Amino acid sequence: MNMFLHELKVNRKSTIIWTLSLVAIAVLFLSIFPTIEREGEEFKKVLASYPEGVLKAVGVQIDSITSFLGFYSYVFLYIMLCGAIQGMNLGMGVLSKEIIGKTAEFLLTKPVARKEILTSKALVVVTSLLITNIVFMGAAALMANIVAKESIDYQVFFMISATNFFVQLMFASFGFLLSVLVSRIKSVLPLSLSTVFAFFILYMFGSVIGEKAVRYLTPFKYFDLAYIIRHSGYEAQYIIIGSIFIVATVAVSFIVFTKKDIHTV
Amino acid sequence: MNIVLRELMSSRKSLIWWSVGLLAMITGGMSKYGGMQSSGQSANDLFAAMPKSLQAIFGVSTLDISTALGYYGLIFSYLLLMAAIYAVMLGANSIAKEERDKTSEFLMAKPVSRSRIITSKLAAAIILLFLFNLITFLLSAMMVNYYDSGAEITSKIAALVGGMFLLQLIFLAIGTSIAAVSKRPKLATSIATGILLLTYILSIAVELSSKLENLKYIIPFKYFEAKYILAGDGFDAVFVILSVVIVVVLINATYILYQKRDLNI
Amino acid sequence: MNVIEIKNLTKTYGNARGIENVSFHVEEGEIFGFIGPNGAGKSTTLRTLLSIIYPTSGSATVFGKDSVQSASEIKKDIGYLPSEVFYYDRMRVKDLLNYSASFYKKDCRKRIQELAEIMDLDLSKRIDDLSYGNRKKVGIVQGLLHKPKLIILDEPTGGLDPLMQQKFFDLLKEENKKGTTILFSSHILSEVQKMCDRVAIIKEGKIIKVEKISTLKESNHKKIKVETKVPVDVDFFDADGVTNLEATNNTISFLFSGNINLIMRKLSEIELSNVWVDEPDLEEIFLHYYEKEV
Repeated sequence: MNMFLHELKVNRKSTIIWTLSLVAIAVLFLSIFPTIEREGEEFKKVLASYPEGVLKAVGVQIDSITSFLGFYSYVFLYIMLCGAIQGMNLGMGVLSKEIIGKTAEFLLTKPVARKEILTSKALVVVTSLLITNIVFMGAAALMANIVAKESIDYQVFFMISATNFFVQLMFASFGFLLSVLVSRIKSVLPLSLSTVFAFFILYMFGSVIGEKAVRYLTPFKYFDLAYIIRHSGYEAQYIIIGSIFIVATVAVSFIVFTKKDIHTV
Repeated sequence: MNIVLRELMSSRKSLIWWSVGLLAMITGGMSKYGGMQSSGQSANDLFAAMPKSLQAIFGVSTLDISTALGYYGLIFSYLLLMAAIYAVMLGANSIAKEERDKTSEFLMAKPVSRSRIITSKLAAAIILLFLFNLITFLLSAMMVNYYDSGAEITSKIAALVGGMFLLQLIFLAIGTSIAAVSKRPKLATSIATGILLLTYILSIAVELSSKLENLKYIIPFKYFEAKYILAGDGFDAVFVILSVVIVVVLINATYILYQKRDLNI
Repeated sequence: MNVIEIKNLTKTYGNARGIENVSFHVEEGEIFGFIGPNGAGKSTTLRTLLSIIYPTSGSATVFGKDSVQSASEIKKDIGYLPSEVFYYDRMRVKDLLNYSASFYKKDCRKRIQELAEIMDLDLSKRIDDLSYGNRKKVGIVQGLLHKPKLIILDEPTGGLDPLMQQKFFDLLKEENKKGTTILFSSHILSEVQKMCDRVAIIKEGKIIKVEKISTLKESNHKKIKVETKVPVDVDFFDADGVTNLEATNNTISFLFSGNINLIMRKLSEIELSNVWVDEPDLEEIFLHYYEKEV
């Protein structure tokens, strides 16, 4: 408990900064929504001069994209990008900072088992992310209420928003594992940032070229937001795979960390 | 000279990793070309009539992705993102790492002036950026020419990569100037990447809202976009001048601020 | 009872040498010295004992419990002071000490105050702002605040001024009187000589000798130097047990081991103007061991 509280305190500032950043991004993007909605309306008038078929096909797409949830799920990707960086930084930093700051010796000479150290660290990661997401969702819902003229299906809204937490957990657990496996990490940010952006670019590019296999590779693609809007539900198989990934990485981290030599100086 | 060599040696591994990333991105991306079909004239007209914001959401742009070069332009926007991440971290790290790794005492006890240290570090960074661009250029020219050899393809790619180099110089200077002023080395990398993220998010927001159009002057990502360079307009003089001014100011700031600051041992 | 029992402890790092077949024990209530030059394997042994790193083979018990299996239980009663003190930056001394105390299920507030007073440590300062020596003091307080039954010190005096060193040694002796066992690793012989009851000498990863400090000194040579009134033939002193015989003018010096009466009788045969008989210090014995091994 003492380690948990201590660690939570250490992470307090960064959790606040990340939470505010995510909220700021949401506010920025959602404030653009009224313009998009209007431009969508105007464009639909332009469409009237096109043949019936085109009108139908494109019109439906325009409608879904310029609906509040459609727009939200589009910009949500960038919120997830930042969320993923937060998650990966946190997951990777929580352990490696003890090694980098050479404070591991302090903890390891205390009467606590290594798995207790890991447990409190992991719990701090989950707690920080949870706090971020709760605050974020509240703020985003408020903003949604302000900008959207139509009534919003809040269940779907929150289902979309919650995917951020899951993706963050995936990145955090991956970072956790890396920090255990890679000895002598000098600084966390470059490594976590390149990893997240690699997956992000893989996602962006994957959706442009329509490569199906990418879906399983990059956490950004585990949730098809359009599917959530259509079905008001998640695709079970990806939740299962994602959960297995999280459990497996954390389990391996525990096994490796309890057995490995910690080189302190 | 010894510092330059030392810097190059220590950055060697990371450049290799980034090159692997470039290789994957360029060859992987271009190999998908060919499977793509031209989207047909009528649809193109329709998309052209669409407001810019909707185009962005629909994922269409003025790039003609039925040509190899146009398709490459699509990949290039992600290459720009990678290049910027590399440059900003290179800049921030090269200055901050001495304090982070507690080697500044070692360096400062040697008969070299601080400005000499900065000059050497900048020289090393520019060599690295040059190599980064050279690799990008060679890989790109090879891959695009493989699918479509035209006289102007190589020169267009050279222009794109030239723009990328300028963008990297801007982000390098952002990184070094922040590291020069920040007393806490860890914070420097965080702030530098924060700025990178912010400008990236803003660049998306600008795509979505014409009201934000004027923000493009503070968003380096908007300076050298593939769609304008490939359309034959070449570089926009305003942006080139702006880039040079930003780089000169920030580099000067780096020298002055680093000179004045107490180093953290 | 043996507080620490190390049996054939071996730790290798790939091909690099760590420690090899290290065995010794530390009895309850003693101050045990662990001495050797830099890189001999002192820290490796201590870290293995604390299961920061794990043994390749062999085992160690502390308080009769296996150092790996019962690691966290053992550490309840261990206080450790590392050679280089690294603590969480951006924390106040007080906060760090309270955090440290929070790992032991007892109230350490009074003890923290006492120790800080003895060591002259400002509790309200930020750790980042402390000098090397002051950080070391934080380390000392941190290692002692929970009244451990076993104190493990890894080259503890670096950075402390002589006055502080003395206070620290007094503190340790006081703890020792209350029954605390101390394992004291160092490469500085004088401090080991001053503090310890027994000592293990380690060199290149192997234990060369475990001995009582007093025996070490006894069993060895006496340094004898004489000044004679008239020149004496050097060969006169060349007897059994005499080594390092040197003569300049009327001054003759040598090392002697054996029956002291024999050499005294010999000395009485000549006319002396002065005589010095010295205990060789640990340093000479130490070098003696090291040279023998080379």
